Amino acid sequence: MAVAAPRFPARRRGAIRAGAGGPRYPGWLALPALGYYGLFFLAPLALMGAVALSERVGHVDFVYALNFENFKVLWDPLYGEIFLRTLRLALFGTVAALFVGFPLAYYIARYAKRKTLLLMLVVVPFWTSFLIRTYSWLIILDPDFPVLRALKWIGVIADDFSVLYTPTAVYIGVVYTYLPLMVLPVYAALERMDWSLVEAAEDLGDPPPRAFRRITLPLAMPGVLAGSLLVFIPLMGEYLNPVILGGDKTIYAGNLIGLQFGSSRNWPFGATIAVVLIAVMTLAVLAYARLARREEQYGG
Amino acid sequence: MKEIPWEKRYDRKGFVAISGMAAFLAACGGSTTAEEEPAAPATTAGAAKPEVEDTLFYYNWAAYVNDETYKRFEEEFGAKVKKDFYASNEDLLAKMQGGARGYDLVVPTGYMIQIMADEGFLTEIDWSQLPNVEKNLDSKFRGLPYDPDDKWSVPKDWGTTGYVYRTDLVKERPTTWREFFDLTKGPYSGKVTVLDGIPELVGSTLVMLGYSFNSDDEGELEEAKQELLALKPHLLAITSTEYKQMVIDGKAVMALGWNGDGAAVAAEKPAEYVVAEEGGEFWVDAYAIPTGNEHPNAAHAWINFVYDPEVNALETSYTFYGSPLKRELLDGVLDPEILSNTDVFPEPETVANLEPNSVSPKGTELRDRIWTEFKAA
Repeated sequence: MAVAAPRFPARRRGAIRAGAGGPRYPGWLALPALGYYGLFFLAPLALMGAVALSERVGHVDFVYALNFENFKVLWDPLYGEIFLRTLRLALFGTVAALFVGFPLAYYIARYAKRKTLLLMLVVVPFWTSFLIRTYSWLIILDPDFPVLRALKWIGVIADDFSVLYTPTAVYIGVVYTYLPLMVLPVYAALERMDWSLVEAAEDLGDPPPRAFRRITLPLAMPGVLAGSLLVFIPLMGEYLNPVILGGDKTIYAGNLIGLQFGSSRNWPFGATIAVVLIAVMTLAVLAYARLARREEQYGG
Repeated sequence: MKEIPWEKRYDRKGFVAISGMAAFLAACGGSTTAEEEPAAPATTAGAAKPEVEDTLFYYNWAAYVNDETYKRFEEEFGAKVKKDFYASNEDLLAKMQGGARGYDLVVPTGYMIQIMADEGFLTEIDWSQLPNVEKNLDSKFRGLPYDPDDKWSVPKDWGTTGYVYRTDLVKERPTTWREFFDLTKGPYSGKVTVLDGIPELVGSTLVMLGYSFNSDDEGELEEAKQELLALKPHLLAITSTEYKQMVIDGKAVMALGWNGDGAAVAAEKPAEYVVAEEGGEFWVDAYAIPTGNEHPNAAHAWINFVYDPEVNALETSYTFYGSPLKRELLDGVLDPEILSNTDVFPEPETVANLEPNSVSPKGTELRDRIWTEFKAA
């Protein structure tokens, strides 16, 4: 009791860390952000939930109710298959973007002389409309596109090679579309990295691959995790690539939802699919974040 | 021979590829109101020429009205036409369902007239303001099943759903749906497209099997589903907006689609549009006046105006879809080449074999399930 009471009340570790050093601002400053979040995220989400539980009347209408029928309908193997197909697409897209994006980010961060230029080259296509970029792949994948013709002539690809309007085209399209979302966070992580750590590891006897595994990779992990989420989450709702490059022949979760709100005119069922997808994604992401935190704390 | 400028007419059914997304965004759009102040109070009906407000807010398919018609209407009535466009019936419905108001005139397809009327999105047509229509409308376009009392709509134009094929790239001369399916599964596998439309594709398959286009019998639909699932792996694409170009380019050699697009292909390449022998869909797009309109007299004036044979000929020579006016009225005002083109004006015995889309809610739900399975296959 002789010691004076601590100047600051004891707080949770995280809180101390978060608030440490910086000036203190009144909490109400967060109100606009919270209001925005509530109005444009939570409220629509609640509305979506209400529509999911509503009952369909006639051709287009629905009345709010407590109707779980739609969730039962969703329990159809057909929808399970569409979900799994979407999951495969999203996982493939994420892994492929990582395999293509990581070396690129690594090169830019460590070796490139004209970093800004290279980064611009990654980012600038992003300024063009997503729709137009997807349509440009329609031209590139066209069997009559000169590059494909040349490849056929050389014999790199078979004469009857054609992937346009197939799932393969969709897979190619999504990797292209989401690549920058992987490159940028990974680059940010690698850019901040202190390369002398790698040099030290190598000096102390680690061959480069091991130094990469023990030093570079763990330090790049936050970027890899962020990039993976940025790619994976929108991919689970992918709509445009299947429509344009897939010839609208293969349906993924995003297309299924679009179909319900559009030509099927079944908003309750569309909302049900959306709510379930959001719920599943939230759980997956929470689990992933938990895993990721552990990884970060204890090293890979 | 004078060349018909087909290329002036764009797809009736779509100018945006991502109509689903557009529909969703549209649904979120909320209310749309004309900026103009409501004009002078309407005169009572029954007058020879009711006073027309200063604006007409016309919500329509893209490129579905001749520019010349707009101009003449504005000159004649001193009313300005405000335009907005939708890419599909479902877009229009989604927009109305989302609460959009202020449109004076829309042009849905028959089945959608019925749905919109049922949902309370339409106001009744005042026939006393439509003397031209009374006089010039071909009687076979009266009392159509989607609007048996002509209460909600006035026909704008009409067409069929069949298929178009390249006569230089397809050896055979198919005339039936069965041949369309067999050729797709056989020699032309991977070179055929179908419409991205539930009623059109499922309905045409039902017709091939000898059932009604609008069947809601589970057994019959199950049979149709099996046919469609067998067809699926042989399709190049499922599209309502790009097939015309694909067939013109020769990337597709055959496509299930609408007569206007078929005629457009035939104008550029050796091709033939076929209304299948088994039958198929016959559709009518019709003028309707939605609830929440602010210029009802202008809307009626427009309908009456385009029922003038000369104005109507302007329209037909732009859209290349059949006109619902009495045929003899078009003689002399419409280019004879268009009037005698059976793609634009299918013969009565062809049409007699066709059905309009009027699927019940139950049938729609069954079709949706089939469609999902078809697309997922």
